[in-house]
Amino acid sequence: MFRAILFTQWKWARLPLLLGIVAAFGLPLVVVQPLPSLFAEDAGASLAIEFMASFGPMFPLLATLLGLILAVSAWAADHAGHHVYALSLPLPRWQLVLYRLGSGLTLLALPLLALWFGALLATSIIDLPAGVRAYPSLLGLRFALATLVAFALFFSISAGTTRTAGVVLGTIVGMLLAQWALALVDSDVNLLGTLFDVLFVWPGPLDIFSGRWMLIDV
Amino acid sequence: MSFAIETRDLGYRAGKTFELRDLNLRVPRGAIYGYLGPNGSGKTTTIRLLLGLLRPGAGAITVLGHAIPAEVPRALARTGYVPERPHLYPSLTVEESLRYHAAFFPGWDQRWADELLSRFGLARTVLLSRLSKGETGKLLLLQALAQSPELLVLDEPTDGLDPVVRREVLTALLDYVAQRDATVFISSHLVHELERICDWVGVMDRGRLVAEMPMQSFKNGIKRLRVRGAPALLGDTPFVVLARHFVEGQAETWIVRGWQAPMTQYFEGIGARVQEVIDLDLEEGFVELLSTARTAPRGEG
Repeated sequence: MFRAILFTQWKWARLPLLLGIVAAFGLPLVVVQPLPSLFAEDAGASLAIEFMASFGPMFPLLATLLGLILAVSAWAADHAGHHVYALSLPLPRWQLVLYRLGSGLTLLALPLLALWFGALLATSIIDLPAGVRAYPSLLGLRFALATLVAFALFFSISAGTTRTAGVVLGTIVGMLLAQWALALVDSDVNLLGTLFDVLFVWPGPLDIFSGRWMLIDV
Repeated sequence: MSFAIETRDLGYRAGKTFELRDLNLRVPRGAIYGYLGPNGSGKTTTIRLLLGLLRPGAGAITVLGHAIPAEVPRALARTGYVPERPHLYPSLTVEESLRYHAAFFPGWDQRWADELLSRFGLARTVLLSRLSKGETGKLLLLQALAQSPELLVLDEPTDGLDPVVRREVLTALLDYVAQRDATVFISSHLVHELERICDWVGVMDRGRLVAEMPMQSFKNGIKRLRVRGAPALLGDTPFVVLARHFVEGQAETWIVRGWQAPMTQYFEGIGARVQEVIDLDLEEGFVELLSTARTAPRGEG
């Protein structure tokens, strides 16, 4: 059963997944390209680290996209058929959800490994000056955790009903409208800032996405 | 008699406009049970309740001895289902769809699946999204049959199919039933189609089961009588009077259920005379039954 479900998810997600694998493998290679010329300058190390920091947000962005695509593709075909086929198969609902989750995680392993290999390759082809170090495995691990968090989040929303998705979307729109209304009356209350802090600052559940994403650092 | 499907006082409400209530279905094992009713009468809702796709609001359901919804997976493992609208994944090919489906059913009969594939003329490499309506209908039935079910639940399986495909589908179904002694629960509003294949019939209207009986009783028992001289008020009758139509200066037309030939004596007893007894086919009986059920006060029928 797991193999059958894994196959369908591969079939539904294979194109964006292949693009994701290429992007994950290529991103570390792209970001290290200018480093040899930067290291040749006097303040090369600090310039290189600044350059790395400016590219950092690309990693959590890619992790979010991968999690989103895999999660949505896991349920899209069932949503289209109003879940009639899935629910008429002889297995408990929780088991079907676990199989779909497991299939998604299995497929996600491909871009995660691609990024790790890409990072290892990228850091092996440049000579680092004294005081600068490469962190390919740490970056790969952090990327993996961020992708899993994104996948779990979008999977739980996507597995739910249209009403669930509507509640989530409605909450976000409600927050934006409330913030806009507060701004109109010159209030100091910062709803969005508070929400961001709650979600993205430790111990917030999305803390993994924030901070510096560095392949090369001191 | 043991039953493949049994419901007791089943109730379900969908929004403010539709309610299924006090549904007491009994589908004998080995029967081909036709579930008749106009569009929107509750046939698909009943089927979704039987398969655990919907949760009942009241009552109890048993399918092949399994309580629903508590034991849905065990019941579904022994049940083939063809839904009203195609539900398979359109991005898979025929071959992939069969492999996917087979993975969930230990009793999958690959040899028979192959035989049906060639009999139905379905190409293995075609995407499901490219199949015609008739081909999709055949594939749905193929998948349901090849899992070797003891019970087949078919929701309008031939709706919208051309006569040739309809015949192929029904022939395959009857072949299966003949070989495996399976129970078939088939819903349709195509009355003539069910008349040929079913041995039991249940009639739904507006969320209520208005009749359930062997097909033979249904076909033989419902008659149109031409009667002269009957009093306006009737006492107890040995049959059920579904409708009486008066036309000035002509014989009355009665629609009755449970008719048997010796019952003409009843009319002599009330000073009336039966001029003619007309057999109704299933469709006429069905229409008369529905019109009677709709004019009867709620709760009767």
